[in-house]
Amino acid sequence: MVAAAALGSAVRMSAARVAGLCAAGLLAAAPVTRAELFYLIVGGLGGEALYDEAFTAQTESLAEAALRTVGEESRVAVLAGADASRDALRASLAELAEQTGEADSLAVFLVGHGSYDGAQYKFNLPGPDIDGNELGELLAAVPARTQLIVNATSASGAVLEDWSAENRTVITATRSGAERNATRFAEHWAEALSTDESDLDKNGMITAQEAFDYASRKVADSYETEGTLATEHPQLAGDTAARFDVARLTARVADTPRMQALIDELVGLEGQIAELRLRRDELPIEDYQTRLQGLLVQLALVQQQIDEAGAQ
Amino acid sequence: MKLRARHLWLVLAIVAPPSQAFRIEYGADRPAELAACDQALYTGQRAEARSCYRALLASNDDVRVKAEAARSLGDLRAANGFFQTAVEAWPEDPAVRTRWGELFVETHQDNEAVRLFQESLELAPDHAPAILGLASISAGRFEDRTRAWVDEVLELDPDNVGARLLLARMSLEEGEVDAGDEQLTRALEIVEERGLPPLEIHALKASVDLLRGIEQSPWTERALAYNAGFGEIYATPAHFYVITRRYREAAELYRSAVEIQPDLWAAHAELGVNLLRGDCENPEATVAEAQRHLAFAYQGDPYSAQTVNTLRLIDSLDNFVLTRHGSADGDEAADPSVILRLHRDEDLVLRPYVLELVNRSIETFARRYGFELEESVIAELYPEHDDFAVRTAGLPGIGLLGVTFGCLVAMDSVSARAEGDFHWGTTLWHEMAHVFTLRATDHLVPRWFSEGVSVYEEWSTGPLPGRHIPLHVFEAIGEDKLLPVAELDQGFIRPTYENQVVVSYMQAGLICEFIAANWGQTSLQAMLVHYREGLDTGEAIERSLGVTPEQFDAEFGEYVAAEFGTVLDNLEPWQRARDAAWESAAQGAWSEALAQATRANDLFADYVDEGSAWLVKVRAHDELGDAEAALQTLREYRRRGGYAPAALMQLAGRLSESGSGAEAIAVLEDVIQVAPLQEDLHARLGDLLLEAGRADQALVEYQVLAAMNPHDQASVHFRLAQAWHALEDLNLTREHVLHALEIAPHYREAQQLLLEIVR
Repeated sequence: MVAAAALGSAVRMSAARVAGLCAAGLLAAAPVTRAELFYLIVGGLGGEALYDEAFTAQTESLAEAALRTVGEESRVAVLAGADASRDALRASLAELAEQTGEADSLAVFLVGHGSYDGAQYKFNLPGPDIDGNELGELLAAVPARTQLIVNATSASGAVLEDWSAENRTVITATRSGAERNATRFAEHWAEALSTDESDLDKNGMITAQEAFDYASRKVADSYETEGTLATEHPQLAGDTAARFDVARLTARVADTPRMQALIDELVGLEGQIAELRLRRDELPIEDYQTRLQGLLVQLALVQQQIDEAGAQ
Repeated sequence: MKLRARHLWLVLAIVAPPSQAFRIEYGADRPAELAACDQALYTGQRAEARSCYRALLASNDDVRVKAEAARSLGDLRAANGFFQTAVEAWPEDPAVRTRWGELFVETHQDNEAVRLFQESLELAPDHAPAILGLASISAGRFEDRTRAWVDEVLELDPDNVGARLLLARMSLEEGEVDAGDEQLTRALEIVEERGLPPLEIHALKASVDLLRGIEQSPWTERALAYNAGFGEIYATPAHFYVITRRYREAAELYRSAVEIQPDLWAAHAELGVNLLRGDCENPEATVAEAQRHLAFAYQGDPYSAQTVNTLRLIDSLDNFVLTRHGSADGDEAADPSVILRLHRDEDLVLRPYVLELVNRSIETFARRYGFELEESVIAELYPEHDDFAVRTAGLPGIGLLGVTFGCLVAMDSVSARAEGDFHWGTTLWHEMAHVFTLRATDHLVPRWFSEGVSVYEEWSTGPLPGRHIPLHVFEAIGEDKLLPVAELDQGFIRPTYENQVVVSYMQAGLICEFIAANWGQTSLQAMLVHYREGLDTGEAIERSLGVTPEQFDAEFGEYVAAEFGTVLDNLEPWQRARDAAWESAAQGAWSEALAQATRANDLFADYVDEGSAWLVKVRAHDELGDAEAALQTLREYRRRGGYAPAALMQLAGRLSESGSGAEAIAVLEDVIQVAPLQEDLHARLGDLLLEAGRADQALVEYQVLAAMNPHDQASVHFRLAQAWHALEDLNLTREHVLHALEIAPHYREAQQLLLEIVR
């Protein structure tokens, strides 16, 4: 049985739960007592029209994905344009430190330019910049135990190691602080949160790992297509990315006892499929396919019922 | 003088075994002690010559003589040491440095050789052998100053045989056969007067005969009577077969050369290279034979970059997939075939498109030129430009996109350049036209006409129809820089101003277009027939078109004026309007950008290449909220030959959204000809084809998509399942839908398809 406290959470905890929450991701916003996912999205200083325009578009796209995922504006904080000052960022993180509990999850997306002077990383904001150390401390002060920090700025690789922590996934656009050119990662990260191309298992939820894989590949492809040397190499640190649902693609449906029963059935079938897949090499291919087909047909029928119930 | 040369190092490969070198010496700077040994060598008494050189090496006290003897024995390492010692002993002697420089020439270290020649000239500015050394290196690099150096030598020494032979060779290479022959006749008189060996002159005289169409030259017999092991009597004419693009004939002569002189390493190397160019029926066996000869050449001359590079290229062919395809009508057993050699990373992605284009070109050109290919065609696409360059010239760094060796086309693959940088479909079409013009004339077609037909076919029947003429060509037309038709080859071979080669390509294309428009397509065919008969351009024009070359030039001038007069008049205001449009766009002044772009297009609507005003106009319409106008502008851009992949993808998307699926398909098919390595392209095209009921074609697109190993594997298997379902293959539908759901059990559309097929 799926623990009520986990429903709606961004993070899935075990193999069995992975399957369960694939379906659970469809459910409506959980009651206040449940663990919640909070977003903070910051669009930094562009410095010129071209970048201002791009950062604004990326920030908006990420905010839409976040809102689509959690369904409540109160859990999506966005700082952009002139409002994205150092003080405003400090205030937002302080508020999150107040607002969240240990069971909650936090996803932070930083979009814009960064710099690194060999010793200190800085995130460029209107007015004074904020440095990597301070930002790291502010993030650490947020009690939400499971965190996803995506720093898509130039030179962001400089903070990869410093910001890494238990139960935290850190994604940076660059391999190190030495990669200082404006990055393309944010554009593709934003795209990843809104396209079913990144949803490899087609469960309607995008995990941080899926989004990272999609965006990294798109970044590499874009340089290759241009025939230019890549000036950014996205990095991921932490081991929760595959379990961190960062964006929802499908509509949210009601959480009812009947729905829960269907989900339980679905979870059971998923478990059987996973077990069968482990035996793939032991079975004659025809036998394997016949068994797989049987389970997939059952799963499809249950899925249909869930979708129909959700649509009512 | 300071002994700068002391620091020169001859880079010698350890594997190089000593091998007796055959080199004819005409210069007076060679020590007289060597004359008897040389004479034995020239007359084919190689064992005697070897003993003679060995004796000198052992007993002569003069280190200069030892150096020469060692070099003649093929012991280049020892020769280098002796020359180094000789330069230290005779630092003021220009001859020693020049001779040492020639040793560097022999090991393909031209830069070091040039330094030594220049040092010689610092010591003695009139030292003819050093000037001739510079000239010979310069000739190998096709530099303009070669002739000036040769003239200088002949001014100093009118009877310099080496200079006359170099001049003769250059004349023959440039097609000036009579001039070359005159030099040879004079050189022969000199060597006969002096009792020098006539072998090289005989070889070049045999080449003159070859260039005049006489294949059984009496000079061959004479040379072999003088020295039965003189391989150059075949290898030298073979070189002229190569430069006139008759690779198979060249290979046969090189074979004869190495048969009578097995240690003629250069001939082994050339045989290897030309085998790779000439045989399209048995490519695997040919590669193996070529590799054997190149490896043999490497053993004797490990310093040749061309040999080393070609051997490496052959090794890399293991990474390519060779596929043989029957005729376009599906008859696999039919002969000739189309053979594709594609890199294994690209094979499954590019193969359907390359094959389709090659087959279509064969069908098109056979119809238009009344000539059926009787042999197979090979198309090779190289993802690394330097591999293509080595395939073409043995060396990296050439600026070409494609090359045709008769039945074989080699070219850059799509991935060799940035996306959109070149239109690979057009390049392949262009090269395939060469296959026809070369084969239809037994390779006797002049360069300009072959290029002209290829460019004309690009414009009229290629995958990107419409003239694509670079702006600087219009400028050249405006400056009256076009050449008379009878001299147009010079624009390719000896350009006299920057970009003249490109101007010549375009002029040749326009000439063929003019001939087809004025005298009909069959006149082009008639020109090919006349070239095959051995006529030159003037004669071919008179016989095919019934006008003199001068009359032709005058009429062509009128054609160009009529076709491009307006464009030339408008060029400056068009450029101003176009630039203003882009500047306005950069500032976000979209109404002004639209006005300027419209004006630019009114002045020169056919300009669709980089910086086209059509693209800024599209953006301006979008920014001003007129999506329909933007769509129509994109349509017009494409209609006029615009091919920027991003613009075409955008157009396809808009057409698809507006329900014009058939047109969207055509647009996406255009994108394949320029930027086929986009997963999204194949997914979208496949979807549209499937929607249009063209499941077999959709399947091709999905298979290509699968070969690209896309990120979203579940989707591609689902697409394949859909296509197989439409083609009513239940087994493959089931296989792919299960695969999709195995990856993504919650994939709704795949679930639906599974339920449908199991019901």
